[in-house]
Amino acid sequence: MTTISLVLVLAALLAFVAGQLLLKKAMDAANLHSFRSMKFLWPLAAGVSLLGAQFFLNLGLLQRYDLSFIYPFQGLSVIIISIAAAILLREKLTLQLVAGSVLISAGIVLVSLT
Amino acid sequence: MQSKPTGFANPWFHLALSVLFVAVYQLLLKLGATETAHIAGARWAWTGLSGLASLYVWLGLPLILLSLVTWLQVLRFIPLSIAFPISQVPHILVPLCSWLILGESINSLRWAGIALVSLGLALVAKPVARLEERL
Repeated sequence: MTTISLVLVLAALLAFVAGQLLLKKAMDAANLHSFRSMKFLWPLAAGVSLLGAQFFLNLGLLQRYDLSFIYPFQGLSVIIISIAAAILLREKLTLQLVAGSVLISAGIVLVSLT
Repeated sequence: MQSKPTGFANPWFHLALSVLFVAVYQLLLKLGATETAHIAGARWAWTGLSGLASLYVWLGLPLILLSLVTWLQVLRFIPLSIAFPISQVPHILVPLCSWLILGESINSLRWAGIALVSLGLALVAKPVARLEERL
């Protein structure tokens, strides 16, 4: 594992998390306003762009590294997204949800390490 | 939050569809990436663009679109902090199916991981039952 591969994997993770949050923001706006509202279209476009960037970064990583290097980082996305959704989107996060997300993250890391 | 649609528009149905599409396109992407790994030595390799030379990657693209559309329907009605953890089920379903159907062995570290994810899903699913009651 080189420094550059770690940077790329973290960049892909960041793009994925930010993309998911923007999509959720877009759909909340769609419910609140309409599918023609800029409050829906703008985060949707930004979210899809970020997920597109993550797609190609991931493809580049898949060409060079084993899934056992890439998947553990995807596992971490579960707990990161739950916490970010609570802070940035004001979703209600119970202790039970946090514990569940931590267990799922840890479990995915364990499953994909081998 | 809008009232939850039933039938074909049901967000839980779309969550299941989305998860299925993701599982299949990830498999196609891995196949495509492996196939194109030999031409990835160039200067722009880190962008992954050379993967577009593979037919598998192109087969995966419509599935990505489908997974995105179904996922958006999920996000209209289910909080991200609940929908996303549940969408990670394939990480344990794939090894479990390989064990049940293909007879592949699972080592103890993997069993521990599968147990942790299952326990986590049970914890996340409990608030879902309450959420459904309210809707």
